[in-house]
Amino acid sequence: MIELKNITKIYEVNKNNMVTALNNINLTIKEGELVVLKGASGSGKSTILSLIAAISKPTSGEVIVGTNRASKLPDNFASDFRRDNIGFVFQKYNLIPTLSAKDNIILPLVPLNLDVKEIEDKLEMVLRMFHIEHKANQLVKNLSGGEQQRVAIARANINNPKIILADEPTANLDEKLSLHFIEMLKELKRDGKTIIVATHDPLFFDLDIVDRVVEIHQGVLA
Amino acid sequence: MILTPEVLAILILNAIFMLFATVVFVLSVKIYLNWDINCTSKAQYKLEKQSFLAATIIKYIFVLKIPLFLFFIFTLDKISNLLTGAMCAAGVVDATEYGTNLIILKIINLYLFASWLKLHSEDMKDKNQPYTKPKFGLFILLFFSFMVEIILEGIMFGSIEIDKMVSCCGSIYSSSASSAVSGIFSLETTTVLTLFYGNYLLIVLFYFFKKRYLFAVANMFFIVVAIVALILFFGTYIYELPSHHCPFCFLQRDYYYVGYLIYGMLFTGTFYGFVVGFINKSDINYQISLLINSVYVIFVTLFVVIYYMKNGVLL
Repeated sequence: MIELKNITKIYEVNKNNMVTALNNINLTIKEGELVVLKGASGSGKSTILSLIAAISKPTSGEVIVGTNRASKLPDNFASDFRRDNIGFVFQKYNLIPTLSAKDNIILPLVPLNLDVKEIEDKLEMVLRMFHIEHKANQLVKNLSGGEQQRVAIARANINNPKIILADEPTANLDEKLSLHFIEMLKELKRDGKTIIVATHDPLFFDLDIVDRVVEIHQGVLA
Repeated sequence: MILTPEVLAILILNAIFMLFATVVFVLSVKIYLNWDINCTSKAQYKLEKQSFLAATIIKYIFVLKIPLFLFFIFTLDKISNLLTGAMCAAGVVDATEYGTNLIILKIINLYLFASWLKLHSEDMKDKNQPYTKPKFGLFILLFFSFMVEIILEGIMFGSIEIDKMVSCCGSIYSSSASSAVSGIFSLETTTVLTLFYGNYLLIVLFYFFKKRYLFAVANMFFIVVAIVALILFFGTYIYELPSHHCPFCFLQRDYYYVGYLIYGMLFTGTFYGFVVGFINKSDINYQISLLINSVYVIFVTLFVVIYYMKNGVLL
């Protein structure tokens, strides 16, 4: 269960320039739910994702993810929390272009000091799951947008997190590849993962796998 | 006034520390008065950010201050060459009325700064940050003692008169001296040695019976007893001279800087013993303390044993 309680987030550029990204938001997302955060650019969707992932802290209010008070975690614990619980899919994939697809995918496993066999098993599983076995050894800069997206989602899943956060995941994909991404989401939902997608792509709004569409307008839930 | 490059380095660093410590002191008071980890208000989140910044500044000040103690002793030793009569740091310490008090305060602060660092390290290991309030409370107290140390240090260096004759360690650490430490020489060696080994034995016993408060207290006593035993008895075997009792000369090159090792072990061993009293975590602090204290006892005893084996007599 993910709970956002009375969340306000103000970005303070300086004393005269403060942007209220979220204003007293309350939101509860149940385990296994697929929730779409809908809203225009700058409405606060990405801020919600970054708060859930403990990438940033609220100005006031509380974020609870499972048994963790995510908004209260000191930085060193927030990294562990993210590594163990969250898979993040970014709009621009955030892959390392000079590494192969395989090396990008196993990056989150590096701090865990797992043995080679265990890493290979996990890698094989996600490569198969997202159909990119044949591209494993290629540099990601040589992959197409759709393939890069699959590498990104494989990386987000390599630790088998309970929660997948996707920020505008189809913004750089054409319709065919977007539909393919949605197919991957279906598989993740079948696995019982909690998925939150921040998007303004209308493809997501009427999907049967989506449990709820939450609309945000200028930092307030509509 | 004496201004060698080493003294200047110390004074400049002290000025920087003073500036940062004052800023952090203001933040520490705010944090100490308003901290509530369960609160989700804007003020609390701001305090959490500030506490991270403040703790980082304090950490770096104290992490630097601990080795700077050794640098301070090294500086005293070095400027002893400039003072007529001084043979080592002891002469410089005795050159002004502030020297001895400053050394004592520095040793006390050393333990307190290290304790703060330990408390901070434990605080950072727990996501609920249980020691945040105590650690900033401790810093508020430490700030005053830190400031006194810095001011006293400045006054001490400022009041050293380069053209004034000072005493050498041979006369300061002798039974005929009228200095603050001369009282040590009225003690019987057997009494001091009984206290030294007895105190060590108590540390071992409290370790096995896991009596943490008694273990900490025994370690605190051990600091004093070990230094007295070093001056009165063990030092003479390091120098291989029955009348030389200086606790500074063995920090010099002639004695292969062995003093740094001796004081380093004494400080580390007793410090870990001391923290057992206020941080009840794993057995690791107990073990480190006992191990280093044991090595210390064996190490200083070895000087006596080796001397006896070489010469067939005791001093």
